[in-house]
Amino acid sequence: MAVEKVLITGMGVVSAAGMNVAETLAGFSSGTRNISKTTPSLSPLDYPVFQVSAPLCDPGRFTSRTIHLAFHALNEALADAGLSQDLSGLRVGVCMGTTVASQLNDMDFYTAYRKTGEPPMEPVMAFLKSNLAEAVACRVKAKGPCITVVNACSSSADAIGVALGWIRSGQCDLVIAGGGDELSRIPICGFSSLSVFSHEPCRPYDRDRQGLNLGEGAGIVILEPESAARRRGSRASLFVGGYDAACDAHHLTAPRPDGSGLEAAIRGSLAGAGIGPQEVGFVNAHGTATRDNDKVEGGVLARVFGAGIKVLSTKGFTGHTLGAAGALEAAFTALALREGWIPASAGFENQDEDIPIGAVRERTAVSARYAVSTSLAFGGNNASLVIGCES
Amino acid sequence: MIIAGMGLVSARGRGVAALEQALEQGWVPPVGVEVKGLASGSLPVYVIPAETLSDKVVLAKARRADRFTRMAVLAASDALQDSGLGATVDKSRLGIIVATALGPHATTFSFLDGILDFGDAAVSPTAFSHSVHNAAASYIAMTLEVRGPTLTVTHFHFAFHQALEIARSWLDQGRCDAVLVGTVDELGSVMHHVCGRMTKPAPDGRIKPFAFSATPETVPGEGSAFFLMTRDPAGAAYGCIKPVGGAVPDSVAALQLLDADGLAKDESVYRAAVIPGMPVSGYAPLFGGLLTGSAFEVAVAALMLKRQRRFASPVRDNPHSIPILNETVTAPLSAVLCTKLDCSGRKATILLGRSAT
Repeated sequence: MAVEKVLITGMGVVSAAGMNVAETLAGFSSGTRNISKTTPSLSPLDYPVFQVSAPLCDPGRFTSRTIHLAFHALNEALADAGLSQDLSGLRVGVCMGTTVASQLNDMDFYTAYRKTGEPPMEPVMAFLKSNLAEAVACRVKAKGPCITVVNACSSSADAIGVALGWIRSGQCDLVIAGGGDELSRIPICGFSSLSVFSHEPCRPYDRDRQGLNLGEGAGIVILEPESAARRRGSRASLFVGGYDAACDAHHLTAPRPDGSGLEAAIRGSLAGAGIGPQEVGFVNAHGTATRDNDKVEGGVLARVFGAGIKVLSTKGFTGHTLGAAGALEAAFTALALREGWIPASAGFENQDEDIPIGAVRERTAVSARYAVSTSLAFGGNNASLVIGCES
Repeated sequence: MIIAGMGLVSARGRGVAALEQALEQGWVPPVGVEVKGLASGSLPVYVIPAETLSDKVVLAKARRADRFTRMAVLAASDALQDSGLGATVDKSRLGIIVATALGPHATTFSFLDGILDFGDAAVSPTAFSHSVHNAAASYIAMTLEVRGPTLTVTHFHFAFHQALEIARSWLDQGRCDAVLVGTVDELGSVMHHVCGRMTKPAPDGRIKPFAFSATPETVPGEGSAFFLMTRDPAGAAYGCIKPVGGAVPDSVAALQLLDADGLAKDESVYRAAVIPGMPVSGYAPLFGGLLTGSAFEVAVAALMLKRQRRFASPVRDNPHSIPILNETVTAPLSAVLCTKLDCSGRKATILLGRSAT
């Protein structure tokens, strides 16, 4: 029996690359990199960051910036899908990915705890009301399955994968899937301690890359089975064709050198979509611009798709948005398929002889039906999404 | 979905045998821990002794791991061993799903200590990498050499319920031959303080699942419970978990477990959730209250189905005169319905059956 297509009927994005889809595409087209520096209120450490500086939508009762970012993307995605903000009449699931927002890491609370032993409880109460998926579900009155994926940097790619499973198993008529993460002092300290930051704008896949820049943002996709979407009049042409994930079982922070976990995830997602690698027009790579990630990932992409595959990393426009990255990049991949072009991979200039592929240096036309978005994460998680577009 | 194996770590010990012993023995008093900033100065808790978490063989690849991860690795490893499938299951088709409410917060606070004590530029990279929620899943994968999909999920009320359904979809859709799915949550000094101020500690050390109180009392707990799930009926060591929405079982041969552990602000909503005529029990008094405690209720249910033994409710305060289990008896048991409510009355149930059909 043929598996019903799962359409992407709506998308919403917010990052330093743009406050919505239109702004993001304009920024990609012009090659604009909205990079700034950490501010004293964010972190005393001095690094480039990709911050969302424009005002966000009204967050209601929630105080978490990650939730604000997610709601901003949610509003765009719902409008794009032609849906209202009240989905209580449908079987709606919510699956969101994050990293920072899952932790009780309020510095003011903890400082007061250490100093006085009697910290104010408001930050704890706010935290306990700020599960990202629950917040989104509350916003749209969703009553279906609801969970937040905390798989580090592949969180929101995995969230889309979980959502795909929910629809294919018939649990939901519609799923809101994606992720969000804010810039925070905690990961800035943490990634700095791991010596993986670049002091310059990041250069994914470049020979002279020095590391990553952090960013913030949110990406959300609305997924629906094709039959249900068409019944309510959707003309969406984009779909999630396949997803798979595999674990390295190797190291907490470093990818397996042979890339076999990532390769298994990519090949599994292609099999799930029922296609071969030759049908993939381009890969939106995880491409963090760290020495290890790009080397391992590049080797795998060449092995699976051949050295001629078009590759880009959009982290040169957004920074590494951690739990938001997978969903943002899935949305960017879908947009590129729909628009028929991929942007220049910002920051890439010189081919690295240790990597058998290079990233695209200029805006490049693509006419494929399928593309792949990859995510690698702490813990050895590897995720791959196959995005498709009907001609 | 078949339960082929279980592994547990709690204040009552490690493994299925320790669980069974706890069920036979019944309630034991919690320990008191000193908590700064509390008027009472101390809090009753169920904490896992350090010796329970020391296993140089199983934890050989997790020597630097924190308590949170050690609990999860031990429980997951034991579940795989208990299933007897460790040597035969294809590790590339074995999945891992870890559900947690609060993650490794003790390590997060340790990382914050580093920032406050030594400055932003001099923190520990080890503390940072271990403070990430999915560190435990990573260590499980490394320890058991699992190469299938690995997922960590969080929710403050129903994380385990959602994790189970994801495991079911992985099995049904052929992504995995087996899935290790479980929960882990820990207590630490900051959480002692938070629990002391945000919950009502039980002065007699007893959680009362059948009080249905609007101001329930609790004893915080910690632990990890893992299950090896398959679709192979031959591996049905503990029965199966039925799909969500399954028919309410025959009340004569069934049992309802209430996951009322006193953590919610109001447990009066449980009164209406009791199924008329069906015997009721609840085992939170054995392990303490924890946001992912539903996994322990399911472990008890699975063991009861395997043994065909109904273990007495460990605390039997029964002001509403519902039909609770007052004594441990061997008697036919075909199904167990585990019921969890949050303070707003949202309900999640897990139905276990003796057979897969």
